[in-house]
Amino acid sequence: MSMLPALDPLLHQPVRTQIAAYLAGRGEASFAELKRALAATDGNLDAHLSKLVEAGYLESRKEALTGGRPQTVFSLSAKGRQAFLDYVAALSKLLPGKPLAEAPLHAAIAPQ
Amino acid sequence: MSHLERMQSIQAMLAAGHRCVELERHSLLLWGLVGGGLCACTDLVINSDTFPDPTQRAVAILVWLAAWLGGMSWLDHHLTHKARANRAETMPFAQAQVTRAWWMLLALGTLATFAMFFHGGGIMIYALWTVLLGLGIFVFGLFSRPLIEWIGLATILLGATGLAAGLAFDTARWLAASTFAIGLPAAGWLAARSDEHRPVQRALYVVAWLTVVIAPVFASARYAATAAAPGPDTVTLKVPAGRVVPLYLDLDSPLLAISAGDAMPMRLIRDAELTLTNGQPDGRYRFGDGSWHSTKEGVLALRIDRIRVEVTAGKPEVRMHSNFVVQGERP
Repeated sequence: MSMLPALDPLLHQPVRTQIAAYLAGRGEASFAELKRALAATDGNLDAHLSKLVEAGYLESRKEALTGGRPQTVFSLSAKGRQAFLDYVAALSKLLPGKPLAEAPLHAAIAPQ
Repeated sequence: MSHLERMQSIQAMLAAGHRCVELERHSLLLWGLVGGGLCACTDLVINSDTFPDPTQRAVAILVWLAAWLGGMSWLDHHLTHKARANRAETMPFAQAQVTRAWWMLLALGTLATFAMFFHGGGIMIYALWTVLLGLGIFVFGLFSRPLIEWIGLATILLGATGLAAGLAFDTARWLAASTFAIGLPAAGWLAARSDEHRPVQRALYVVAWLTVVIAPVFASARYAATAAAPGPDTVTLKVPAGRVVPLYLDLDSPLLAISAGDAMPMRLIRDAELTLTNGQPDGRYRFGDGSWHSTKEGVLALRIDRIRVEVTAGKPEVRMHSNFVVQGERP
């Protein structure tokens, strides 16, 4: 009997998975950018971001953008990046047939 | 959501994160207008009449291009930061790097234009600018929408094909102007309407983009040929093939001088016809029954590709091999 890999419950939620994936590709993003990329509402996005920040998966900082109001900018922490990589690896093993190539996904994740 | 759908969603968001560079509307308009304007007007502002000395002309071109392109780079950078800030967006690392690569391409084009005054190759200057623009669009496209990437490739091919096909200098100039002035805004307009997941639609958009860019150039070239054609009252001079035509070469050299009045007798291979105004050629001509051209189109070009010194009967001789070509026709 083969052991099924456990999926990180924090990342195993569609919006949070997408937040992690987007930040893994882009490096960092403001709240407004995440909202646009995920087509999420303010409240929903804020709740998910708070959970990821509390778990130490995301880092946030205030940045004064030129001529605009200060914005909170989010990025994956080292812990969050590793958790996301582990999550993708675990998810690949659960896929039927030939697993999706992990290497390209790992390579696609922006280095910190 | 199944595991497969979740993995596909991850891949889509990773790609969205990577392709986060935005080609701002103001950037496309600014670069389109300035690039197109420079291609169209530079030869009118800086030419052998306004700057007779080639070195002065080269420096004037350098200052002219550096001022316009440098100024536009600064303005574009400033406006892009402002637009991002207004949308509460950060400047992605990729966009900052791609912008630097774009500046390098502009600097390369400016220096190549300057260098061509001293080292030749000026006939391909507009093809070079078209290819450099294509490279810039392609690099932006790598981190933006796939359609932009394809349009970048199409632009590179357009410049290279135009050069290989021997487009007349003037046609190549208008093609570069059109690629900037029409191509850049059109690329932004099409990219905003393209579906990233439909390659067939993307290919159709590229064909539409090429049509929009090329059609005005060839329409204007056809119009220019019609305009150059003489009217019924125009006096023309027909020079039959076989006629010997003296070629007077005005040579600037610290080594050799041509005696006043010395000419090389050249034999015309094809029938030619010139239009005359007040008894002198006015710059319009044709070969055989072909279409009419103006000398301003830059269809004629002289290329010297080999210089050899020989000693014959104890006397030194300089032998040159050159091509006096009609652009678009093989020598």
